[in-house]
Amino acid sequence: MFTLRRDRARRSAATTGLLAAGALLLSGCAAKSVATGSPSGPAASGVASSAVASSAGASSSVAAPAGAAASGAAASGAGSSSPGSSAATPGGPASVAITITDAKGCIASPDTVVAGAVTFTVKNIDATGITELELLSDQRILGERENLTPGFDSTFSVTVDGGSYQIYCPGGATEKIPFTVTGQAADVATGSTATLLQTATVHYSTYVDNQIEFLIPPVQELVTAIKAGDLAAAQAAYARARPFYERIEPVAESFPDLDSAIDLRIGDVEAGTAWTGFHPIEKGLFVTKSTRGLEGLAADLLTDVKNLQVKAKALSQATTAKTGKGYQPFEIANGASGLLDEVLKSKITGEEEAYSRIDLLDFQANVEGSLQAFATLQPALDQIDPTLVPTISSKFDALVAVLDTYRDAKALGGWTPYPELTAADKKKLTDALLAVQEPLSAVSAKITR
Amino acid sequence: MSSSVTPPSRGPDGTPPRPSRRRFFGTAAVALAAGGAAGYGVRTATAAGTGGAVATGSTTASGGATTDRSASTVPFYGARQAGITTGQQERLMFASLDMTSTDPRDLRLLLGRWAAMAARFTSGQTVSSSPDKPEQPPFDSGEVLDSGPYSLTITVGLGASLFDQRFGLAGRMPAALAPLGTIPGDAVLQPELTGGDLCIQACADDPQVVFHAIRNMVRAARGTAVLRWSQLGFGRASATGAGQSTPRNLFGFKDGTNNIHADDVSATSDHVWVGRKTDQAWMRGGSYLVARKIRMEIESWDTDELSDQEKIFGRTKVRGDPLTGGTEFTPIAFDKADADGTPVIDPASHVRLASPEENGGVRILRRGYNYTDGQDPQTGKLAAGLFFIAYQRNPHLQFKVLQARLGSSDLMNEYIAHIGGGIWACPPGVAEAGDWFAKSLFTPV
Repeated sequence: MFTLRRDRARRSAATTGLLAAGALLLSGCAAKSVATGSPSGPAASGVASSAVASSAGASSSVAAPAGAAASGAAASGAGSSSPGSSAATPGGPASVAITITDAKGCIASPDTVVAGAVTFTVKNIDATGITELELLSDQRILGERENLTPGFDSTFSVTVDGGSYQIYCPGGATEKIPFTVTGQAADVATGSTATLLQTATVHYSTYVDNQIEFLIPPVQELVTAIKAGDLAAAQAAYARARPFYERIEPVAESFPDLDSAIDLRIGDVEAGTAWTGFHPIEKGLFVTKSTRGLEGLAADLLTDVKNLQVKAKALSQATTAKTGKGYQPFEIANGASGLLDEVLKSKITGEEEAYSRIDLLDFQANVEGSLQAFATLQPALDQIDPTLVPTISSKFDALVAVLDTYRDAKALGGWTPYPELTAADKKKLTDALLAVQEPLSAVSAKITR
Repeated sequence: MSSSVTPPSRGPDGTPPRPSRRRFFGTAAVALAAGGAAGYGVRTATAAGTGGAVATGSTTASGGATTDRSASTVPFYGARQAGITTGQQERLMFASLDMTSTDPRDLRLLLGRWAAMAARFTSGQTVSSSPDKPEQPPFDSGEVLDSGPYSLTITVGLGASLFDQRFGLAGRMPAALAPLGTIPGDAVLQPELTGGDLCIQACADDPQVVFHAIRNMVRAARGTAVLRWSQLGFGRASATGAGQSTPRNLFGFKDGTNNIHADDVSATSDHVWVGRKTDQAWMRGGSYLVARKIRMEIESWDTDELSDQEKIFGRTKVRGDPLTGGTEFTPIAFDKADADGTPVIDPASHVRLASPEENGGVRILRRGYNYTDGQDPQTGKLAAGLFFIAYQRNPHLQFKVLQARLGSSDLMNEYIAHIGGGIWACPPGVAEAGDWFAKSLFTPV
């Protein structure tokens, strides 16, 4: 565990501030602006130039987050359901057929269209190694389709302005072919994916700052309860504090010294080093069942958390000021995935809260943090591939639905104590978790650095 | 069906196989030679009927000490799925999955994706030729990057549970796939090791190659299907080609002496492949897979005296010849009795109860592997046994008939327990790129 954290921290330090996720604050507050589809948020810049419309076949019309021009989500047609008519009616959207073969890679017909809406119909004949196709403009992904398995068709639409583009079929005999758009599209606005991503980083930084702000009062209560010798109050405060930290853990991990000081478990403490932070306090409160001797640890924890607040704020300011040293969009994506990895590594195994057994509370907080980080990126992702967000969101929904069955209002922290879960329960949670993590782990690559 | 190039086979009169190349190696180094032989057999006795490109495979180093089996391939595309009558490889990984998506499109896409992956893996390629992106996890997990395909075959099957209301397939389930019901000996079948909507059997002559195939196919299924249970098999426990030596099971006995061999066309068409007469046309050219995870009570067996062990099997332990005499391949004289009238082959011996002679001619193609899961933490005993796999035209008329007798009377039952398994319909082969597993199941009748 600790090793991993250190590695991550090093990695992040090399890039810039790390990242991670956030969470939906039950109590509302400012964190709300980060929630899914904030109407005044990322999309305010208007209709995107690469606005993605939907398309053929079985379109599962999951509403895209507000602001994205897409009104529906295109689905790749499967098997026998071939896409509809591709006749190019004058003034209507242009149709381009892309054929992928093992021998030649991808071929577009026609390879020149007039600016405006273009519908691409993609057919993979026999290229087993090609699973995706991208429409690129200066390395930026304007439209993308995945799951291009041989024998299956797919469709996507974009609105493009005049210029030179490329169709990219990675792994193909010919990987990139030129694609030309002539003229100028009407009503093309300037809101770009890059703009949406910058907005996302600002929203995310606000979210992180809020979580840390909300973390301080329960830690304060913990200090007070321990000082007063009130075991029950201290246990309650401990459980109240944990989720705020767990939602943003990858950010904390970007400050390796702080994360170690705050959240190390006994098995990760090097010989000769002091064990500090949440977990020795947890052991005292839930195993020794006494507040005695914990005063110093609690006071130090408060100091460290406040220190974390200062450092995170500096990151936020850099983000808003666009100095290049703040949160990076791809880091938010990595953090979202990293939070789920946290769950898989130390929550599903029941190792994180070995004494208090509130593992599911941490579990839920990690998931929520991941979901929030992902949510900030949605408007931008919707421009790249309108099927992406609905796909991942539905998996998140399924995970949350499974998790919700373990709520227990009477238990400390509000969740079933971890030892009460059966092996079958844990398998169900793992399966739901992996279903989200796999597609989520590929998101950062869709975001231009 | 089978390639016309066949390995040395048994003589027309049922005499033992002529010495083959591998037997020359064999005298000196038995284990090594047997390994080399399997690779050789695989390339020649392919299951697919395309006659397609077979990569030039093993090169025998001068002196014959080593055989490079890494480059050997078994054609993936063809009229029948490979991995059924393909000469049995040394290693297995088997996986059973449950669908989590209820969208028929997801199921079709998965079967298509698997077909594309299987085509690549079996020819020694990775998941994708796309360059990996630094910002994204690698497309392929990478543990076979420096390897070869090692005669990898990937065989996919559909379970009866897939034909419920979820995917609109209720009317397309073959009668032969219907659950077998409880068979004697099923008492300790564990639900978490039994059944599944889909299965994948990966066989190769290298353990990491089979693991890689299953791992990446399960990964590709995330969000659509989840792993229900899986099994790694470490040693071939059947011979599916006349050129293959009869392997031994973990009881130390030769197993599968009378197994159907791939090059026996009349036997495979009579007993293995689904023919024209079937209630579901999409299964023509397919076969039904029955798997059983059979725990062996190793510690108990090890305390049983040799004569009893031989009585249970009906064969001698070291040579594998029937207790009625001859060599391993001598037909068993089931009628033979001692002076006092006691049958030499015990009425409840394994070899008698499983024999076609005693079962109205019923035969199956066995393709089992030995396994171990280490030590059972609950009991401290070795967790090991036989991962039995059998292919047949109709499990109700074949496996069930045999197992009903074995399960109720087999002397061996004292030393084994069936703890998991299942039954799956393995559709015909994937014809070419663009086709996929069970595609015709999804096309309108």
